[in-house]
Amino acid sequence: MVAQVSSSASSPHRYVIIGNGVAGNQAAEGLRERDPDGLITIITNSRMLFYNRYLLPQLFRAHQDWRALLAYPPGHYEKHRIRVLRDCWVTAVDSRKRQVMLAHNEAISYDTLLVATGGRPYLPEELVECRHLIHPFGTYEHALAVRKALPENGSVVMLGGDMIGLDLARTLLDLSYRVILVTHENTFWPHQPVGEERSKFLAILQKMGLEVVDGDAMGGVVAIEKGAAGLPERRVRFRQGGDIYGDIVMSFYGLSPLVEFMMKSGTDIERGLLVGTNLRTSDPHIYAAGDVCQIWSEKDNVYRFYYGHRNVRAMGAVAALNMTGGNEHFSTTQDEALFQNEQGHIDSPFWAYD
Amino acid sequence: MNTTDIQIALCGSAGDGTIAAGDILRNAVAAMGYRVICFDVYPPEIRGFGKCISRVRITKEQTYALKRQSDLLVSLDDSHAIPHAGEVRTDGAIVYESKPVAHCPEGSHMSGHILPGQIPYGIPLRELAEKATGGARSRNLVVLGVIAGLLGFSPVPFQKIIEKKFAKQGAGVVSRNLAGFQSGYEAGQNTFKLDNVFCVPMESVPAAGKVVMLSGNAAVVQGCMDAELNTFFGYPITPATTIMERLATAMPKRGRRLLQTEDEISAIAATIGAGYTGSRAATATSGPGLALMAEMLGLATMAEIPCVVFVSQRGGPSTGMPTKTEQSDLNAALYGSPGDSQRIVIAPTNVEGCYRCAGKAFEMAEKYQTPVIVLLDLYLSNRYETVTLVASGPPFNLNANKPLRRLEAGEQYHRFAMTEDGVSPRAVPGDAGCMHVVTGLEHNTLGRPNDSDENHTAMSHKRHSKLQGALQHPDFTVTKRIGHSGRVKVGILAWGSTFGECLEAMFMAHAEGISCAAMKVVMLSPFPIDAVTQFMDDCDHVLVPEVNYEGQFAQLLQGLLARPVVRLSRVPGSPMPVELILGEIRRLAGAV
Ligand SMILES: Cc1cc2nc3c(=O)[nH]c(=O)nc-3n(C[C@H](O)[C@H](O)[C@H](O)COP(=O)(O)OP(=O)(O)OC[C@H]3O[C@@H](n4cnc5c(N)ncnc54)[C@H](O)[C@@H]3O)c2cc1C
Repeated sequence: MVAQVSSSASSPHRYVIIGNGVAGNQAAEGLRERDPDGLITIITNSRMLFYNRYLLPQLFRAHQDWRALLAYPPGHYEKHRIRVLRDCWVTAVDSRKRQVMLAHNEAISYDTLLVATGGRPYLPEELVECRHLIHPFGTYEHALAVRKALPENGSVVMLGGDMIGLDLARTLLDLSYRVILVTHENTFWPHQPVGEERSKFLAILQKMGLEVVDGDAMGGVVAIEKGAAGLPERRVRFRQGGDIYGDIVMSFYGLSPLVEFMMKSGTDIERGLLVGTNLRTSDPHIYAAGDVCQIWSEKDNVYRFYYGHRNVRAMGAVAALNMTGGNEHFSTTQDEALFQNEQGHIDSPFWAYD
Repeated sequence: MNTTDIQIALCGSAGDGTIAAGDILRNAVAAMGYRVICFDVYPPEIRGFGKCISRVRITKEQTYALKRQSDLLVSLDDSHAIPHAGEVRTDGAIVYESKPVAHCPEGSHMSGHILPGQIPYGIPLRELAEKATGGARSRNLVVLGVIAGLLGFSPVPFQKIIEKKFAKQGAGVVSRNLAGFQSGYEAGQNTFKLDNVFCVPMESVPAAGKVVMLSGNAAVVQGCMDAELNTFFGYPITPATTIMERLATAMPKRGRRLLQTEDEISAIAATIGAGYTGSRAATATSGPGLALMAEMLGLATMAEIPCVVFVSQRGGPSTGMPTKTEQSDLNAALYGSPGDSQRIVIAPTNVEGCYRCAGKAFEMAEKYQTPVIVLLDLYLSNRYETVTLVASGPPFNLNANKPLRRLEAGEQYHRFAMTEDGVSPRAVPGDAGCMHVVTGLEHNTLGRPNDSDENHTAMSHKRHSKLQGALQHPDFTVTKRIGHSGRVKVGILAWGSTFGECLEAMFMAHAEGISCAAMKVVMLSPFPIDAVTQFMDDCDHVLVPEVNYEGQFAQLLQGLLARPVVRLSRVPGSPMPVELILGEIRRLAGAV
């Protein structure tokens, strides 16, 4: 449906999208469909084109060149005349001048801006100092580094265990690695099972083969150190003693929205960028979609996050419609509950990718 | 993948050290045993503006030309490099400054021009240089380090060349440049590699001094020195200037003479004068200088005085395009003097050929007592290639002069005596009993003016017929056929630097199953009619690629042989693109 054309060939509308993830790409496609003449620019700090991060755990089964993970071939961007500025860090947005400031001292002008920067892995304060001893897992490069560092049948101490981590854990278990899960209140993030339900899912994890250590009961992790000679590479120390060891340590405490560069833009921010269901921020020229935004929920009377591939894609589509003059509203179609599947394993709509 | 074939393009502004970085790169990889072809493009201005590009093709096996697409583009100045971003192939990479100090106007940063299929490597080049050396001047060395680190080269050959190159500037400069290189090297090594540009390590490294990296002009100089050039007179002109510059360093060390004259007329006059005295003499110039030498060259033809003129062509006419290549002085070299003044014109096709043609030019000049023009062009003069040195001494005959017979008592010396091969025994001033007259006027065998019709006809015939001997000149490749033998669909006939591109195109056509062969014509005057006719007879179609507008070589062929040829004449100011030649081959072969 190409309902609206908002720019002309002589003065094309400048759409700038910060973020080359699910939301940004969905929006770019929608924008092109609605505005054949518009100038569409995606800005990303990644060197790679948009690739499927949901598939990263599969790299442990068989090595794949990153090109095999690309969501679209490079020709897609050329065909749709979508300019992608890679390896570019956005440091600020000047909403008065309508410019996106880049770390390399260039300002990119926009008529309408979409912020789709997603989130970064959250790390509790007490672990920030030990960050260099923790293997991150957000990119293809990270996945290869983990694969390299992990000896055959080696052990991973998984701190937190959000759904991104648990997805990796189930693959690693399948491949005969040991996974020691240190629980935290963000275990199962973005799901928040409590009480008996949480215990039930923890028990399922144990049945699946995870070794579950109750992090809270041990007073929480206080430090990560290099293992002593003859012991595995890493030692995880708890406030109340009882250290555990693993070949590598990974942290999965959920994601926190990437909004720092928006701080001086004048748009309303709580934890994420605040938007209405039309995904417009408090600035009429700025929209937000994906993990970076908190959307007003009439039902809950709060701004809330909506995670999962289906939601994020829908947000990208709605943003594109509204950026080109539409009046669409985002509503979730995705189930949000954690469940036990037919094999008796935990499962989640968060893991669905379509 | 067990082969290596990568091309790196370094692009910056004059003063960025782009060409210097390219120079270190090519020497380092040559020291590792790779074959290298490089071509630098720089502006006519000295510093501060103008684009410099150094392209380096690195291969395991010998290749003949640069590729149209580079695998890696390194930008030291985005304003110049951005127009070249499209030259990088898919999955190739672009290295650029990620932290420029100055504000970049919108659209002026490289990141906005990298195509989706290319890999961006934004590296804080200036910051790395400043951290390592306290200043940004060694940014070009940082870049070099990034390239070496990214491609997994050993840093040692680079370090050795940096030490040697900057030794004269003192230990401080050497250590700063080494530190700059090292910081870039670490950045390159730590860059997560997303491109697919790979260099397979060479199994064996050539023995020191066996393989050298030479530019066309440097090879000419080496040829001159090995042929024991004794006197050189010249007036600077791009792209021939470096011949004189290098000779100015080399000749005095061996007790030989070089003089920069006030202009080209003076240079050729002095060269001919030196030749007359028996000194082995040469000059070097470009198209505009050749025009000024035209009259004097006629004198050398008429007076049968050996002299060698190296002509490195550039875009013309007139001042034209001093820093752009062209092959448009062929007609001037062949016919550019009044009167029936045929001379020998030879044109090497690669750097090794520059060496051989330079040395052989002196042999021919002396053997046939005539001016010899060696036609180079900017692309060949400035292009660097790895050249394998011959094990034995220089392959030149230094006694090519026709020996003087002892004169009988009372016998008069006939400087221009009629002989079977047209070459008269030559005496030089001071040879006892050989006094003779030398003049630009038509003369008899004694050298005395004589304008009778019989004499002028006989002398004209002598001056022309003696040159025919050059077609069988010993150990000289007059023409060479490469590629499929026997009958072929497409034959490529080419001369000078364009032949390398023709070979590349021919091998690509072979890979596509197209039957084709190529012939290089090194001797353009006298023209090897028989060999070329035979080649043309074997070809369904004859393609003649050349970098000039008029198709001067094609005209020459058609004038001499009256055969149809397909012209591919272009004047882009740069070498003929291989793809263009390949496209024509395909079209003629009916493959498209
Ligand atoms: C390994 C892994 C596995 C995951 N698995 C699942 C899963 O199974 N199910 C699920 O629902 N979700 C999963 N997620 C989360 C999922 O990626 C997000 O929910 C979804 O991709 C969010 O899309 P987005 O477009 O909002 O942001 P993202 O996909 O995170 O994209 C954000 C983009 O913004 C760019 N960016 C950020 N800051 C800047 C800046 N300052 N300047 C320039 N560019 C910037 C980033 O480079 C990136 O291109 C996973 C995440 C990871 C890392």
